[in-house]
Amino acid sequence: MGDKSKTDTSLNPKQRSRREFLENAGTTAAVATAVPVLGISAAQAQSDTQSTVSKTTIQLTVNGSRHSVDVEDRWTLVEVLRDQLDLTGTKIGCDRSECGACTVIMNGKPVYSCSQLAVWADGAQVTTVEGLASGGQLSPVQQAFVENNGPQCGFCTPGQLMTATALLSNNATPNADEVKQALVGNLCRCSNYNAIVEAVVMAGERSGGAA
Amino acid sequence: MSEAIHIGLEPLNTIGNATARVDAVERVTGEAKYSRDFKLPGMLYAQILRSPHPHARIRSIDTSAAEALPGVRAVITGDNAPIVWGAGSVSGGRQYNDPTKDATLHRRYIFNNPVRFVGDSVAAVAAIDRHIAEQALALIKVDYEELPFVLEPEAALEPGAPQVWPDGNLCPDFRNNFEPMVSNLGDVEAGFAEADQIFEERYETSFIHNAQMEPRAAMAHWEGDKLTLYTPTQGISNCRHDTARDLGLQDHQVRIVCNYMGGGFGNKNQNQDADLVAATLSKQAAAPVMLEFSRRDDWLGVHGRWPTVQHYKIGAKNDGTVTAIQMFGYSGMGPYRKNSGGISGMDVYACPNRLRSISAVYTNRTTSGNFRAPSEPHGFYGVESMMDEVAYKLGVDPVEFALKNMRRPTDDQPFTNYSLEEVITRGAEQFDWASRRKTTPGSDEGPIKRGSGFSFMMFRAGVGTSSAIVRVDAQRQYTLFVGVTDIGPGAKTTMGMIAAEELGVPLDQVEVVAGDTDRCPYSVGESGSRTTIQTGYAVMQAAKDLNQQIADSGMPIGSDVLIASATPNPSTDGKTRQCFGAHFVEVEVDTRIGTTRIVKYTTVHESGRIINPTTARDQIRGATIQGIGQALHEDLLYDPASGQPLTTGYYRARHLTHLDIPEIDVTFIEVDDGYGPFGAKTAGEAGIILAPAAVANAISNAIGVRMTSLPISRDKILEVMA
Repeated sequence: MGDKSKTDTSLNPKQRSRREFLENAGTTAAVATAVPVLGISAAQAQSDTQSTVSKTTIQLTVNGSRHSVDVEDRWTLVEVLRDQLDLTGTKIGCDRSECGACTVIMNGKPVYSCSQLAVWADGAQVTTVEGLASGGQLSPVQQAFVENNGPQCGFCTPGQLMTATALLSNNATPNADEVKQALVGNLCRCSNYNAIVEAVVMAGERSGGAA
Repeated sequence: MSEAIHIGLEPLNTIGNATARVDAVERVTGEAKYSRDFKLPGMLYAQILRSPHPHARIRSIDTSAAEALPGVRAVITGDNAPIVWGAGSVSGGRQYNDPTKDATLHRRYIFNNPVRFVGDSVAAVAAIDRHIAEQALALIKVDYEELPFVLEPEAALEPGAPQVWPDGNLCPDFRNNFEPMVSNLGDVEAGFAEADQIFEERYETSFIHNAQMEPRAAMAHWEGDKLTLYTPTQGISNCRHDTARDLGLQDHQVRIVCNYMGGGFGNKNQNQDADLVAATLSKQAAAPVMLEFSRRDDWLGVHGRWPTVQHYKIGAKNDGTVTAIQMFGYSGMGPYRKNSGGISGMDVYACPNRLRSISAVYTNRTTSGNFRAPSEPHGFYGVESMMDEVAYKLGVDPVEFALKNMRRPTDDQPFTNYSLEEVITRGAEQFDWASRRKTTPGSDEGPIKRGSGFSFMMFRAGVGTSSAIVRVDAQRQYTLFVGVTDIGPGAKTTMGMIAAEELGVPLDQVEVVAGDTDRCPYSVGESGSRTTIQTGYAVMQAAKDLNQQIADSGMPIGSDVLIASATPNPSTDGKTRQCFGAHFVEVEVDTRIGTTRIVKYTTVHESGRIINPTTARDQIRGATIQGIGQALHEDLLYDPASGQPLTTGYYRARHLTHLDIPEIDVTFIEVDDGYGPFGAKTAGEAGIILAPAAVANAISNAIGVRMTSLPISRDKILEVMA
């Protein structure tokens, strides 16, 4: 790919779906298999201590802090959060929009951060699980998870919390069915679903939606 | 929130009170560090190349292009890393240990040739970032000679079937006899002769991936000849020992760190090939290496519950007395035998004539292994579907049939206590079994039909050894060192509660140090529902010792501390120790589209004294829901023509979501039988054992047709209702 990605619009990930983009990236790798010399360009040979794939500088605000990050076009938002910003609370469960463990709130909406290319997040406001508590105070839904055993293994918990937080900001006092509808994209293999729904309902009842 | 109903014992000072996890705040704020969350300076990222073929010989591997890719630091294959993953293939499917390792004929290496399933490991790469590692995998050229393959266990035993191993496809037992596992009590032929009626049926169950949310990851870091592994494991002690043995190290040269892990349900027992691959790459690259599995890697490269075929033959008298139970079973183990392939269940019946023969069979599917109650849910589904059918055919209420035929204590075999009758009768009453079940199955008019089903069980709750250390300083701060990892059930909290109870101090005065072999003594590991009983008992004994020291010499002063340790090895004095349970469920089946909805689900369990009602409740609810998923949805389908797996992920395997989940009602009958810590028994596996049988029986009660194959998916219901 190299510098081409900056000029060739067909390779501009901002204009394409992640799936198309990744499929193309896979094709590139397959071509390289047949022609191994492509793998050692002069630029790459200069230094192999970091990737020399071209980068784009993006600005994003995460949990209220502004960041300027140089990102590779193939990086996803969750990679930037975890690897570049050390916000490892957001988990990668499937990396393909199936499980919801990577859910963050981006510009007010819950999104799967595994399926957002980092370049798409340029200019975005992002909230992760690390941003829910403020001033040492857990948010109402975090507090309800603590009291009602919301986490078992805890791996899906950040994602459940983020979707629940987005729900509560739109619907102050959801009932159990509304919680299930909203959280349908967040799997829990411990199958702690009953406790999670109870906790979200409880958080709404207590705070009237100030989650 | 809905609390479980508790009957029988009053809460103690700490134990028995609903208690938030000691690490709950870390879990809801993102502070909890899972294996993949660690990062060390200079850390490399690793990926594994996997076989695209179900069975193939590798003629050659060319890694030169991958090695030449800038940023690649190490490439390993079977040629330069011929390491046996001991726990990945064990003789007879036994617990892995030195004698087992020596006996094992069919060894699994971290890279195998021939490759024997789609997903078998071929090579691994470490590079400066994960994308370069991915690119490098695509540069490895493997020349495969494709071989014939076989996917189904019964077909694998046919003459002329493709051979997964040169000795044939029947797995050997731990003495390397190539014979089925047979258990034979009484005389089944005499039992059949005595019967008024004979019933026969074939049942089939699917491969269920453990599908824990955290894909496997392992970070290896060498300092001199000491290896540290940050890895998700259900047992840091056995992971350390296994890793040391596989790499030719002493135990003290290996440190396992696992403070948090994202579930396992049995597929993170012992050490894993990922640990060995990361360690080998790290050694070769002279840098820390983080090996990350993708979801597909995890689905194929780890393991799930073995698929089975079960042929039952039951003899019964017209009065509902069972006279003989016979089962010939086949368990598909994939090409490496990680566990027994057991099919349990018939032993909950008292019938004196019982014959069980199970053939564990090699196939070219992905590997089978432990999943929460490894031998039980599919076995109980088979036998309790069979018995439900017999009961209805004889015109007997299945609950009455169970009470008549279930195993009870005898003079020869006493129990520490026995609650099976109580859990069944109380469950039937709470559920309103008498009015909910259809006396005539399938009798609802119209296309939407309701029905109810029931299942019951007892399950081992034996005692055993583990260690604990407890310390107190002059500020009266207690520290408990236990080698548990918290895979989800809340072991850190449970251990702290047991210590606090015995020490007579509040829980917040006890710090629990866990999940690190350099800091913690031996613990059995979070498998077999043993941690609360075994490690909990060691905690109790260490705390008693510390109390005695304090009584003898007073509290420590200045910088002094008092330390007590315990490694008890208790017995049950020859008595059988079991936990007990009964599940009742009502379903609604829409026969036009084949869907099943759970209307009501009632569980009653006797798991001894409940240490923490909050986490115990959710062990039962979560395990039950996992069992419902096994009953209705989950399967790893293969294309028979190509041998390719088709349902490698949550979406395709149709895992349950929030919208599918019923309320699960939980009742605990609490008993202190005088064994275990304060009378605690097993709970973690109990819930999943009964759900597939209960749901299947309810569906049959609703539609009037016995469903003989799991999962009972929409297509199967439509087929029988057509």
